Amino acid sequence: MITRRGFLTHSCSLGIASATMASTLLQLGLARTAAAQSAPGYRALVCILLAGGNDSYNMLVPVDNDQYSEYRGIRADLALPQSSVLTLPGTTANGRSYGLHPGMTGLHSLVSNGDAAMMANVGTLLEAFDANAVQNGTAKLPLGLFSHADQISQWQTAVPDRRIAQGWGGRIADLMQGMNVQNGVSMNVSLSGSNVFQSGNDVTEYSIDPTGDGAPGINAYDDGTEFGTFKKLIVDELLSVQQQNIFRREYSQRLRSAIDAQAIFVDALATSPTLNTAFSPGVFSQSLRQIARVIGARDALGAVRQTFFVTVGGWDHHDGVLENQAAMLPAVSAGLQEFRDALVELGVFNEVTTFSTSDFGRTLTSNGKGSDHGWGGHHIVMGGSVNGGSIYGDYPVLSAGNPLDVGRGVYAPTTSVDEYFAELATWFGVPASELDQVLPNVRSFYSPESTLPPVGFMSA
Amino acid sequence: MIRALTRHTRVAATLLMALLLSSCGSGSGASTPPPPPSAAAPPTTAELVAASRFAANATFGLAFGDIEVLAAEGRDAWLDRQFSLPVGSHTPIVADLVQRRDAGEFAQFEQDIEYLILFRRLAWWHQTVTAPDALRQRVAFALSEIFVVSDNVDSLIINPFALSGYYDMLLKNAFGNFRNLLRDVTLHPAMGIYLSHVNNRKSDPANNIFPDENYAREVMQLFSIGLFELNLDGSQKLDSDGRPIATYTNTEIREFAKIFTGLSFGGPNAAFGNPLPDFLSPMQMFEAQHEAGQKRLLNGTVVPAGQSGVADIESALDNLFHHPNVGPFIGKQLIQRLVTSNPSPAYIERVARAFNGDITGVRGDMRAVIRAILTDPEAIALPSAASNFGKLREPVVRYASLLRQFGASSDDGFIANTGYFVQELGKQHPLSAPSVFNFFLPAHSPAGEIAAAGLVAPEFQIATSNSIVGFTNLVDFVVLADFVTDSPPPFAPVSLVYDEYVSIADDVDALLDRLDIVLTAGTLDVATRQAIKATVSDIADLNLRARIAAYMFLISSDYAVRR
Repeated sequence: MITRRGFLTHSCSLGIASATMASTLLQLGLARTAAAQSAPGYRALVCILLAGGNDSYNMLVPVDNDQYSEYRGIRADLALPQSSVLTLPGTTANGRSYGLHPGMTGLHSLVSNGDAAMMANVGTLLEAFDANAVQNGTAKLPLGLFSHADQISQWQTAVPDRRIAQGWGGRIADLMQGMNVQNGVSMNVSLSGSNVFQSGNDVTEYSIDPTGDGAPGINAYDDGTEFGTFKKLIVDELLSVQQQNIFRREYSQRLRSAIDAQAIFVDALATSPTLNTAFSPGVFSQSLRQIARVIGARDALGAVRQTFFVTVGGWDHHDGVLENQAAMLPAVSAGLQEFRDALVELGVFNEVTTFSTSDFGRTLTSNGKGSDHGWGGHHIVMGGSVNGGSIYGDYPVLSAGNPLDVGRGVYAPTTSVDEYFAELATWFGVPASELDQVLPNVRSFYSPESTLPPVGFMSA
Repeated sequence: MIRALTRHTRVAATLLMALLLSSCGSGSGASTPPPPPSAAAPPTTAELVAASRFAANATFGLAFGDIEVLAAEGRDAWLDRQFSLPVGSHTPIVADLVQRRDAGEFAQFEQDIEYLILFRRLAWWHQTVTAPDALRQRVAFALSEIFVVSDNVDSLIINPFALSGYYDMLLKNAFGNFRNLLRDVTLHPAMGIYLSHVNNRKSDPANNIFPDENYAREVMQLFSIGLFELNLDGSQKLDSDGRPIATYTNTEIREFAKIFTGLSFGGPNAAFGNPLPDFLSPMQMFEAQHEAGQKRLLNGTVVPAGQSGVADIESALDNLFHHPNVGPFIGKQLIQRLVTSNPSPAYIERVARAFNGDITGVRGDMRAVIRAILTDPEAIALPSAASNFGKLREPVVRYASLLRQFGASSDDGFIANTGYFVQELGKQHPLSAPSVFNFFLPAHSPAGEIAAAGLVAPEFQIATSNSIVGFTNLVDFVVLADFVTDSPPPFAPVSLVYDEYVSIADDVDALLDRLDIVLTAGTLDVATRQAIKATVSDIADLNLRARIAAYMFLISSDYAVRR
């Protein structure tokens, strides 16, 4: 694979090809500059993956009597009691009223304060939904619709018709990483290990732990003691071997990069202001706390742009929807509120946008205490630059004959992930000219040249 | 560089000697099989290297003495003997621990942690390190990464028999027939919980209730046929437009979902809807909750109305078992788990044919499949420098090998390890995957050189910046600080035995030769060897020399990636 650096070394000998490539590089370079100018200052995206397919019809629930009774009818034993739902202020454009799962008091405050908004019924789509085409089998549907592996991937790749290994966060980073100081710490930081979202052609994630300083160093390595110096010598000696085998080479490079990046990362983290905000002890809150600390260290890291990725697992509630969500959604809600408080403390709440994703929503119908794989789902967006307090997109009108229902209470999305992500990517600084590079399917739903935003939940 | 090493090694030697605890090698540890009758000449280095390579494919690692035995015995005889050994079950160990707990033995230690949740982990590590049926234990682990259940569900953690029983089911079926494995997985209560087909009701359209589709999907996608039609060599079949062909659609999933209805926990208190698991019995069928009517399965098969629920399940599993995909789909993954990440199409085809019954006349013959995988020319040959043969050792296997190859032992004969250490530092533990998709996907291809070459390297998916350093530190703790396992009280701490290496350490080349045989199966890079040799040659103390040599081998890329 030709890396940018490798290409520049060899471009002289390539004649015409180099002119074409050079102009592409020039474009990318200009794009980078344009990005810097269009969104000056620091920006960060925090992607939360609720892995397994969150049953979001019980996270954002209709509460007006008419829609609630439809909800209750179709959800059967999965329906939440109407009085338990935390009604959100205001109604949507079509006069309906919605609320949050009773366990999400934190999120309710955030939305009520305008710090967060809800994104209704978003999901993967290859083309605009056509109920008739779906019925007669001619619709072009996303690959592996209803399959965890494919859908969790497509929410990260934003490519619904092929299986690829790069995500839109990786493509953004390929484009914009030059805005950061190149010190070996990736602009894409993960609290949940390797992931497709943050994988680009050039950029991969930097994985840290939610505990301690996040990045472990080799025991004693270069710690000033005689043993530490010895340790450094033998480790460096081993890693300096030019491995002939491709896998051994990869391993050496990863270990070397991890050791080098750790030194820089930990030094930078030491400059992060001590947070007064208290975080809950669970992994999700602690992961967000760690992200806040890293954001607090952004100047020392030389980072102008960062993405963060956290997975919360266990949402595949084929069984026990009510009990499981009652146990799990409060932790998500509390974590978001704590994170918001920490970002306000750091003075960066306007610069950080947090958004949720999930494989899919779930069937409105029950399988007897649980639900199965669905399609469109409702999500959360939070940040100082979010036009909070509202529900964006189109929450479907639940009814027996709704053409969006493709069977078993699986409602097709009314907003594509492309539009959802385009709103976030644009705010983050991806220029309109690059939007279809970052989101290859966006033009099926949104023209980057449009003067209107894709969805409208971000302020400039 | 060498001069710098000399000065530092002399000082470091003093410090390390203070750090190292004296090893107390009494107590039983990994048992070795009885040596074959003597008389043959000792194996050559080439034979030892070949045996070591075979051992790395077939076991969690063998120490030098066991490699010598294997070399003398030969692969086929070794396999025959391994196939005939009694099963090293995990449940009896759990049962013994439960009994001891009931007698109050652990009460004083249980303030912060309930010991019940440790027992299946303790059983796993002790058996994996010490049980004589080394091949079966290794194959069961590979199966556990395909037929995944995990302790990320509360009810599977709380009762220690849940996961030990599930693992024993894999052990039992490892050398049997794949068709029986499919059935036993389907009916196991742990799987019923994990993929939610326990207490799965038939349709109740009036109340908008339909069968749970979870198991129906995953039994096809992960446990038998996969997503796309395959040729025998593992390549995807293509339609007239050159596109891969899906094996099933959501329609088939819904039909299969009907099949997996009516099951509930077995045992003396069995009743449909009973939420209390019985992990000692397979799930039981309750006809009243089983979906009636015909079911349309794959390839035109129609399960007629009126069959019993049990007969429906057998028909469905037959339908899957006889699908031509199973050989290549399961065969390729077993090759990837045991031998190499990128087997050639020809290798896959040979293994698929073994699955299909071409060798023994029996479709699904696991012994034929395992023998085909382990004795294939591609598994046996010493790879050329340019070849892409090999795989990254996963943390669980790497750590278990360390314990086995350096004679883990303890005063009470129990190799006590909770496994939290390797789980925290290496981000992996048996039956603790984050989802039914295991810790890494078979198709994972690291960006950069490996992806550009069109290769996969699944285990790299969890070799991240934190875990790659974390695991390197684990080796440090074990080899340099004698913190060998996470052994909770009252179990005796575990120690490793380096005597056989210390005894030859006066001859650096002999020391490195032996480590190269045992650990890297003769594939140690010349430059790596030189680096290790230069370092340890300057260490006068032979104990320390052996430790440092082992440490450097164990953290090297040459060892991390098996070739």
